[in-house]
Amino acid sequence: MITQVGDRTSRWTADPGFGVYLHIPFCRHRCHYCDFNTYEGQEGLHLAYVDALITDIGNCDPGGRRATSIFFGGGTPTLLPASGLARILRAVAHNVGLDPGAEVTVEANPETVDEAKFDALLEAGFNRVSIGIQSLVPEVLTRLGRTHSPERALEAVGAARRAGFEEVNADLMYGSPWESTSDWMTSLEGVVAAGPDHISAYALTVEEGTPLHTLVASGRAPDVDPDIQAERHELASEVLSAAAYERYEVSNWALPGHASRHNVLYWSAGDYLGLGAGAHGHRSGRRYWNEKLPREFVSRVSAQRSTESGSELLDAGTRAGEAMMLGLRLASGVQLDEFTRRYGPEWLDGRAAVLAQLEAGGFLERSEGWLRLSAGSTLVANDVLCRLL
Amino acid sequence: MDQAQQRSFAVISHVDHGKSTLSDRLLQITGTVSDRDMREQFLDRMDLERERGITIKAAAVRMTYTAADKTTYQLNLIDTPGHVDFGYEVSRSLAACEGVLLLVDAAQGIQAQTLTNLYLAVDANLEVIPVLNKIDLPAAQPEKYAAEIASLIGCDVADIFQISAKTGQGVPELLDAIVERIPPPAGDPDAPLRALVFDSVYDVYRGVVAYIRVVDGSLKARAPVRFMVAGHDAEADEIGIMAPDSTPVVELFTGEVGYLISGIKDVSLVKVGDTVTPRPAPDVEALAGYREPKPMVFAGIYPINGDDFPLLRDALDKLKLNDGALVYEPESSGALGFGFRCGFLGLLHMEIVRERLEREFDLELIVSAPSVGYEVQLDDRKKEIVRNPSEMPDRSRIEEIYEPYVSVMVVTPSEYTGPVIQMCQDRRGELKEMHYLSPERVEIRYHMPLGEIIFDFFDQLKSATKGFASLDYEPVGMYASDLVKVDVLLNSQPVDAFSTIVHRNKAYDYGKAMTERLRKLIPRQMFDVPIQAAIGSRVIARETVKAKRKDVLAKCYGGDVSRKRKLLERQKEGKRRMKQIGLVEVPQSAFIEALRVDSDSTSA
Repeated sequence: MITQVGDRTSRWTADPGFGVYLHIPFCRHRCHYCDFNTYEGQEGLHLAYVDALITDIGNCDPGGRRATSIFFGGGTPTLLPASGLARILRAVAHNVGLDPGAEVTVEANPETVDEAKFDALLEAGFNRVSIGIQSLVPEVLTRLGRTHSPERALEAVGAARRAGFEEVNADLMYGSPWESTSDWMTSLEGVVAAGPDHISAYALTVEEGTPLHTLVASGRAPDVDPDIQAERHELASEVLSAAAYERYEVSNWALPGHASRHNVLYWSAGDYLGLGAGAHGHRSGRRYWNEKLPREFVSRVSAQRSTESGSELLDAGTRAGEAMMLGLRLASGVQLDEFTRRYGPEWLDGRAAVLAQLEAGGFLERSEGWLRLSAGSTLVANDVLCRLL
Repeated sequence: MDQAQQRSFAVISHVDHGKSTLSDRLLQITGTVSDRDMREQFLDRMDLERERGITIKAAAVRMTYTAADKTTYQLNLIDTPGHVDFGYEVSRSLAACEGVLLLVDAAQGIQAQTLTNLYLAVDANLEVIPVLNKIDLPAAQPEKYAAEIASLIGCDVADIFQISAKTGQGVPELLDAIVERIPPPAGDPDAPLRALVFDSVYDVYRGVVAYIRVVDGSLKARAPVRFMVAGHDAEADEIGIMAPDSTPVVELFTGEVGYLISGIKDVSLVKVGDTVTPRPAPDVEALAGYREPKPMVFAGIYPINGDDFPLLRDALDKLKLNDGALVYEPESSGALGFGFRCGFLGLLHMEIVRERLEREFDLELIVSAPSVGYEVQLDDRKKEIVRNPSEMPDRSRIEEIYEPYVSVMVVTPSEYTGPVIQMCQDRRGELKEMHYLSPERVEIRYHMPLGEIIFDFFDQLKSATKGFASLDYEPVGMYASDLVKVDVLLNSQPVDAFSTIVHRNKAYDYGKAMTERLRKLIPRQMFDVPIQAAIGSRVIARETVKAKRKDVLAKCYGGDVSRKRKLLERQKEGKRRMKQIGLVEVPQSAFIEALRVDSDSTSA
């Protein structure tokens, strides 16, 4: 069930490498459910932002570690020209260094990519692309505020493949109030047919502060139904596992050997640099985050001020709890000896009784030194975690 | 003042029938309160102010009145508690009087409690002056209700006063009748002092203030006294009267009514019904009629926040200072934590205590379902008193269970006789008497288990009679019944807070109602939660809270670890306020809702 091919493991690991996250905070159009740090209509700022980001990369201190994975997220990184992304990546390679075989991912919106762009990205050193498809049903896409067509989305996957990307992820979203079971089935089957090696499928979450939240709170849009979302998740598991995708995290499926190394690093509580406006980083129990507003980010860089706007230092217990919260998202669960080596025995020892209770209740499983959520409790992980944390 | 010119009386009346307004008029006409100082509901306001620590209770007000015969009289208006729970206190207040005004709303007629208190007054051989109030109201039917009263007390319709306390119409004539018809006190001025304690209140600064009626002899300020029943000796530090403000006097004479402050800090030493005598103790008998307050209704009171337990204890200790009838002892519940099992005189008393704890001490409470006290005869001849269903001994050891019965009086328009009788029959009542007060109104008496009326009897009675019926009850003794304990189990774990003792024939109804109620109140968990009601090991009702299917963060990447962790911490904080029963998390609100007895049900 759990697969490991070379370095690209889908399992929790105490030594997940070193990641670099770069944030591109721009979108052509902001979706009403989105709560990411991204802005419309700042095209005039794009170039200055790229320059500032490159400068800031030059200022950062990787502590002698080389990147095993790099992730360009957004926003819509592909809103920038491939040359801009290439310059940023070169700066990372120059100032941080890339491990041979490092995974380098860029997120893409179907409307901002074509085969030529993928060629250029591949040429620049990107080797993984994550395409936001969300749905293959026009009505659902419209309701979600997505402006691309199903055909365009599928074409983006094909273009990436033709350009030579071996690692292609398709992002899907399910459980919106405007989607039927057969709509979801259509999306799943269409995406499987397009043949990405990795599929992320997220339940639509009504996040506070989003336009969708306002609509739902005021009764102008129906709320999501967690029971229906659970059914959709189960349907996804059936369809995807029939097509040889394995679910290795709550919302992530991959063909064997194609898990995202960068994301496994997050779920293994690894260290990563956060670069760009609003990006978060983590170094040995210290979490920090950067100035969110792109314009302010740029002006800080040009004034040679730090772009970091806040940080927190986790105490040992919080750090261990966070690691468990993240690690249990992985289907592999957490390797307990390694966990103890990294975080000390106190956290687990202090929870022996509740662990035993949750295991006896069938919510957690322990085998060969690994602790994981049972298949049945993956979708109620919060409940389990609330008891554990 | 000479005994011959003293008149002591109480007003027997239903809530809203105008007692406070009549008191206002009496205070005004007698000049006790000047027109300038007069405010509506004068004595009630004094009591409210007393709650805030400003003055002391107007348990008895002295007025001076010069009657038509040009003689000046001393009138003592003695307050009576307004509820059946305090029937004993009412009887002691009446024991300080020679007469009563039976005050009845001319638009509503006599109500059950009024009737009970009227019977108390008649039993005590008091002069009853019937009064119809609110005759100025358009809805008044004085002829109809006068006929009812006349047949009830055996007087002539013409003898019934018709007044409007609001406008003062008829009140001067009533004052003259008080003087003419109520006899003066009959005590012996030359005998050693005997004074009846008919009420008491705790004052933070002065200690216990006893309200007394000097029956024989007289009491001088600073005299050494003894409280006979309590066996407690004290000095009469201050004696006085309320006119209506407290006014110290040097001596209270035979027949007079006043207050006595003796530096006692413990209210349980000043018992209502006790007799005050001089020291050294003369050879006199205590005044008749003393009774220990007997709790009839029991409930567990728990702080919602477990940390508030010491605050709750302090609050109960303080309440106890001026509520001698309140009893409590610590108990613990698997479901509700640490709290107190409290005993109350009745439902209203329980509601008063609960309200005061919440209002005056700012406590958030869960009150368990009220229970009565059972006597359990065990097979080894031992008897146990069970005041909490969780204390019920194992069924195999029980020979017989006895439960308290009450005599219930319902006064209702006769068109609702059928539904009222049906209700009482359903609650294991036995019809004792039906008495037509008039062709339109009937007094119905039932004997029924107290346990049957402490939940929602009053609510149902009100809805069955469109609000017209009134209710009263008094204990009549313990009787054997076929009772069983019904347990409620969540996920196979018994929850002591929901256990109850009911008649075998009602066990299924209770089990079904409680399991259905809980199914709606308990949030979905990460597994199916069976809710069962059981007698011993036999399940009699079952419901299931279906497992929730999704409670997981869809996304959690490097950018939102802190935020997602805090989200979980908030969710966990919400869960921390829940009670954990096995693996099942039960919100406090579920306990409160499931155990709720509608507060209206107690304000009979």
